[in-house]
Amino acid sequence: MTHEEFEAIAALDAIGAATLDEERMLNEHLASCESCRRTRDEFAEAATLLARQLEPVAPPADIRTRIVDTIEEDDEEENVIRAEGRFRNRWWLATAATLFLALWGWREFGVRVTREHMKSQEAQIAELQSELNSLRQHDDKLASEMAALAAADTKTIALTGQQASPSAAARVYLEPARRRAVVFFQNLPVNAKDKSYQLWIIRADQPKPQSAGVFDVTNNGNATIVIENLPVETEMKALAVTLEPKGGVEQPTNSNFFLMGNS
Amino acid sequence: METVNEALLPSVARGDTTAFEALYDRHSGTLYALLLRILANPEDAQEVLQETFVKAWTNAKMFDPARGSEAAWLISIARSRGIDKLRSRKIRGDRENDAGREISIHSSFVDSTTGADRAIQSQESSAVRSALSELPEAQRVALELAYFEGLSQSEIAEKLGEPLGTIKTRMQLGMKKLRERLRDFK
Repeated sequence: MTHEEFEAIAALDAIGAATLDEERMLNEHLASCESCRRTRDEFAEAATLLARQLEPVAPPADIRTRIVDTIEEDDEEENVIRAEGRFRNRWWLATAATLFLALWGWREFGVRVTREHMKSQEAQIAELQSELNSLRQHDDKLASEMAALAAADTKTIALTGQQASPSAAARVYLEPARRRAVVFFQNLPVNAKDKSYQLWIIRADQPKPQSAGVFDVTNNGNATIVIENLPVETEMKALAVTLEPKGGVEQPTNSNFFLMGNS
Repeated sequence: METVNEALLPSVARGDTTAFEALYDRHSGTLYALLLRILANPEDAQEVLQETFVKAWTNAKMFDPARGSEAAWLISIARSRGIDKLRSRKIRGDRENDAGREISIHSSFVDSTTGADRAIQSQESSAVRSALSELPEAQRVALELAYFEGLSQSEIAEKLGEPLGTIKTRMQLGMKKLRERLRDFK
């Protein structure tokens, strides 16, 4: 259909004379035609001239009063409904907000607890791992010590207590082939926290002693160390123990020997 | 009508009851005359008039001045409700005869509108009547049967004893002339 044909239908529609089919087609067209919508509005306005030609007739005065009363009552009812609606809305909003906060708080609490639990478990795992490493090292050390003790060519060197600790003793189990030794110390005085015992090898081929290891003793005065990369047996002249600053030093700082023995 | 007055519906839409009362005073005479013409019964006309203004109060926000005048918006509501009422009465078969209409229209009531409103409404209706008098009688009759009686094209054709196509053409031509005359009242 052309725009002119739709305009003709719009003219009839303005006075309610379009058929149902015509009205349907017109509305479908108006949905996408601004020009015809304007024409339809103009026809609708023009149709009201038929009413506006009538000589006005004043309705009864009580009609005005009734209408104004009705809209004021409606207004009051609407205000009450609005107020109730606001109250309900506020109530629901407050309830929803409280629930949300409670759920959010519970969730956050749950997350925090889970995190703390995970941290705790991670710490436990780390601690266990450390203990495991320590046990493995200890196991290796024991295995090494056992190997040193059980080896066919193991030689033993005894260290005896000196003036600083007459009751102390030590025994060195030396594996010449592997240039390795295990040393068991007994009855040494418990060293202060800022001090360590240090084992020295006095070599035949060198004028200065060579550090063989640093150690602390237990409350019983005992300790065990493993020495690697020892000099060959023929180069070892004697072994001695001094008390040195914590962690050990390059050369002995004193000649106060706690243990001493010849290889 | 509001060509000389400020539109009141925007204020009514904001819940201004004073504006609503002014709206009533400005348009009630025309709307009541329209409803008396359609329904030919004061009680029915008053009932529909009340419905029309209550609807205007609740639906004022839907008024779009870009689409038409305030008067046209109110007239459309009143006419639509009046025709609905008329059709429901027709179904009941108790519609009053034409003779009864004239008596109803000229019954006397206390006029609550102001003198200024009355004068403006009366002047405008007179001007519109003058403009519509230029319409050929056959076109005017066909338009009024559709507009005031809510008759369909075929009902008008049957009532007037004319072919459907002739009635359709008359109404379309009549509306085109009304549309042209509308400019005089904008």
